[in-house]
Amino acid sequence: MAWEYSEKTKQIFMDAVHGKPGTHMGEIENADGFGEHGSIVCGDALRFTFRVAKDPADPLGDVITEARYLTFGCTSAIAASEALCAIIEHGRYTPVQALKITNRDIVDFLGGLPSQKIHCSVMGAEALEAAVFNWSVKRGVNLDALGVRLRMKDEDEGRIVCKCFTITEPYLRRRIRELNLRTIPEITAALKAGGACASCHHAPGGLQDLLDETWGRADTVVKDAPRPPDPVATAPAPADLSPFQFMRRVEQVIEGAIRPLLQADGGDLELVDIKDRIVYCRLAGACAGCAGAQMTLKMMVERTLKEQVDERIRVVAV
Amino acid sequence: MRRVYADNNATTAIAPEVLEAMLPFLRERFHNPSSLYAAAGDVTRAIEHARAAVAALVGAAMPGELTFTSGATEANNAALRGAARARPTRRHIVTTAVEHPAVLEVCRDLEREGYDLAVLPVDRGGRLDLRDLVRALRPDTLLVSVMLANNETGVIFPLADVARIARETSPDILVHTDATQALGKIPVDLASLPGVDMLSLSGHKLHAPKGVGALYARRGAAVRPLLIGGHQENGRRAGTENAASIVALGRACELARDHLPHAADVAARRDRLETALRTAIPCLEINGEGAPRLPNTLNLACHYIEGESILNELDSAGICASSGSACTSGSLEPSHVLRAMHVPFTAVHGSVRFSLSRYTDDADVDRIASVFPGIVRALRRISPYWDSAKDAPRPDAPSMTAAAP
Repeated sequence: MAWEYSEKTKQIFMDAVHGKPGTHMGEIENADGFGEHGSIVCGDALRFTFRVAKDPADPLGDVITEARYLTFGCTSAIAASEALCAIIEHGRYTPVQALKITNRDIVDFLGGLPSQKIHCSVMGAEALEAAVFNWSVKRGVNLDALGVRLRMKDEDEGRIVCKCFTITEPYLRRRIRELNLRTIPEITAALKAGGACASCHHAPGGLQDLLDETWGRADTVVKDAPRPPDPVATAPAPADLSPFQFMRRVEQVIEGAIRPLLQADGGDLELVDIKDRIVYCRLAGACAGCAGAQMTLKMMVERTLKEQVDERIRVVAV
Repeated sequence: MRRVYADNNATTAIAPEVLEAMLPFLRERFHNPSSLYAAAGDVTRAIEHARAAVAALVGAAMPGELTFTSGATEANNAALRGAARARPTRRHIVTTAVEHPAVLEVCRDLEREGYDLAVLPVDRGGRLDLRDLVRALRPDTLLVSVMLANNETGVIFPLADVARIARETSPDILVHTDATQALGKIPVDLASLPGVDMLSLSGHKLHAPKGVGALYARRGAAVRPLLIGGHQENGRRAGTENAASIVALGRACELARDHLPHAADVAARRDRLETALRTAIPCLEINGEGAPRLPNTLNLACHYIEGESILNELDSAGICASSGSACTSGSLEPSHVLRAMHVPFTAVHGSVRFSLSRYTDDADVDRIASVFPGIVRALRRISPYWDSAKDAPRPDAPSMTAAAP
C-alpha cells in the first residue's frame, strides 16, 4: 500500500534522518532520565533520554531542558520519536507534567497517523514513562505517593496475555479504557497485542474476554477455530511381509549388500524413506556427482533390492 | 532527479510493443469473439495466436492446454481448488513455506475444509530439501504445489526433481507450479518437465498489463473449472474473453522469448549492484545467497535498521523498491518468506528487494549503488543498536545470528 503519511510526518522524518539542526536524534550521556521501549524482534525500538535543570530545593521542580532519542523503526516510529522530543522541549515541562503528554498529542503533532501506525505514537509515550520513572528513582521522587501509575508497574505485576509482544493484562485493561479500544483490530493497531500469532484473540482471558469485560458484549469479529485434520490414511501392508518386516529387510540389504559395494568406490547411499514398495534414496560421496548416478541407482540398487526383498520394489532418487 | 524503477517483481511497465498490439482491441476490434460475423472471427484468431505464443514460451505441447485467466491469483485458485474438486477422495496437499499467498492461503483454506496440509520448510539459503518432500508424500496425496522461483528472494526451486519424485511415487499425484516470477526471466520448458501437470503465470510480471494471466493444465489432468456459466475457453473458464489483454499477454510472451538469450545482461547488472552494496555496507545479508537465483532479483537485509524507513528514503531519492518489513505489509509480522529462511531477527525487519528488468540500465544500477549506502548510514545513525563512530553494532546490541521467531 502506498504511504498515507501526512506531509508533516514525512517532513519530520526527513529532517530527523538527515540531522537537520534543531532535531533531536541522539543520546544524552549521563542522562537524568533514561527509558527504552520496544525491541528489535518486534520491529521497533526507542531509546529516550532527557536532561533536566535541577531545582535545588525540590526535585518536583526539575524542568526538562533537553530530550533525545535513538529509534529503530519505520517512518512513523522515527517521526513520532522526533515529535515527542519537540513537544517536551517546547513545553518546558517537569517530568511529572511530561507524563500528561499522550500518544494523542504525538499524533496531533504529526498531523495524524494511519490507523495501523498508531502503536508508533504509543511507543513514544511508553518510553517517556520509562524515562520519567528512571528520573524519579535517581531523584528520590515517590511517584506512587503522587498518585502516578506507570506502565512498568503493570508489566511487572500482570499476567501476560499477548506472549508474542509480552503485553500484560493490567496494562491491556487500562489501555483499552484509556484509548477507547473497542475491537481486537483496534487493540492490535494501538498496542500491537494480538498482532502476530493471534492465539490470544479468543483464548480464555484473551483480548476478546478483556473487551467484553470492559465494554460488555461488543460487535467484534469471532473467528472459527480450525477443524482438526482427518485421520491419516495409511498404505496397505504387503501380504507377505509386515510393513515393519519389509522396512527392516530393505535396511538390512542396503547395509549388508549395497553400501559396502558403493563405499568400495568412494561412494555411499542414504536411505531417505520407504513408502509402500517405493524406496527413496540418495547417492552420496563420489557417486553423488557421477554421471552414471541414476543408472547406478536403477541397475544396482533397485535390482539388488528386487532380488533380495521384493520384486515389486521401485527405487526413486532424491 | 533520475527516477529508477527497481520493483519489477511487484509489477512491470507495459512494453511499448505490447501496448501497440492491444490498442486495436480496445478500439475498432472490440467484437465479442463468440459472435458469428467475420469481425468476431478476427478477434478469435488473435486470441488463438496469443495462446500459441504463451504455449511456445512455456514449452506446452498444445496451445489448448492453456486457459486464459484474470491473472496468476485466479490461475492458482483454479488449479488448487479445481484439482481438489476433481478428485474428492484424495485429501492431502503438499506445498512450501515460501509460496506466494495466492497458493499458501488457498492451501490453508482447503485445510480448513478438512484437507491435510504439509508445508515444506526451506533452509537459510531458501532451498528445499527434497528429502522433506519424500517424507511428506502420502498414498492419498492429491497435489504438490511448488513455485518455480520465489518472488521475494528469486531463489529457484528444483522443479524437475520435485515433479519426477512425485510422478515416480504415483502418477495420480498432480504437480502444480506457480511460475509467475520465473517466466520471462529464466527458460521454462514444460516439454522437459514431464511431471508438471499445471502451471500458473501472470501477464503483468512480464511487461503485459494487469488483469490477465493463464493456467496451463496438461492434457488429461483432472481439474474442474472454477468459473462456470459460459462455453468460453472450451468450458474451462467462463466469461467473455478479455481480448485486448490476452493479445497483450501473447505479444509480451513473444518479446520475453526474444529476450531470454540476453538474461545474462540483467544478471550482470544485478551482480554488479550486489557487489557494490556488499562492499559499501557492513552487516549486510544477501537473502538467498548460495542458492540458484533469478537473474534480476537482489534481496538484502540490513542489520539494525527497518525496511519501511529505508523505502521511504529511497522513494525520496526517486528509487522504487520493496521490503519484507512488517511495517510495509499492513500486518505486524515481517515476510513469511524471510522468517521461513530464518533470517536473523536483527535483519528481518531491514530487508529490501531490488528487482530489475530488461529496461533497467547501467545508470539505474549506478544510481542505486550511489544512494543506498548513504541511506543505510543515516538510518543506522538514528538506530539505538549502532555505533556510527565505529560503523559497527554497539557491544550491547542483540547478536546478528539468532533467527527470527
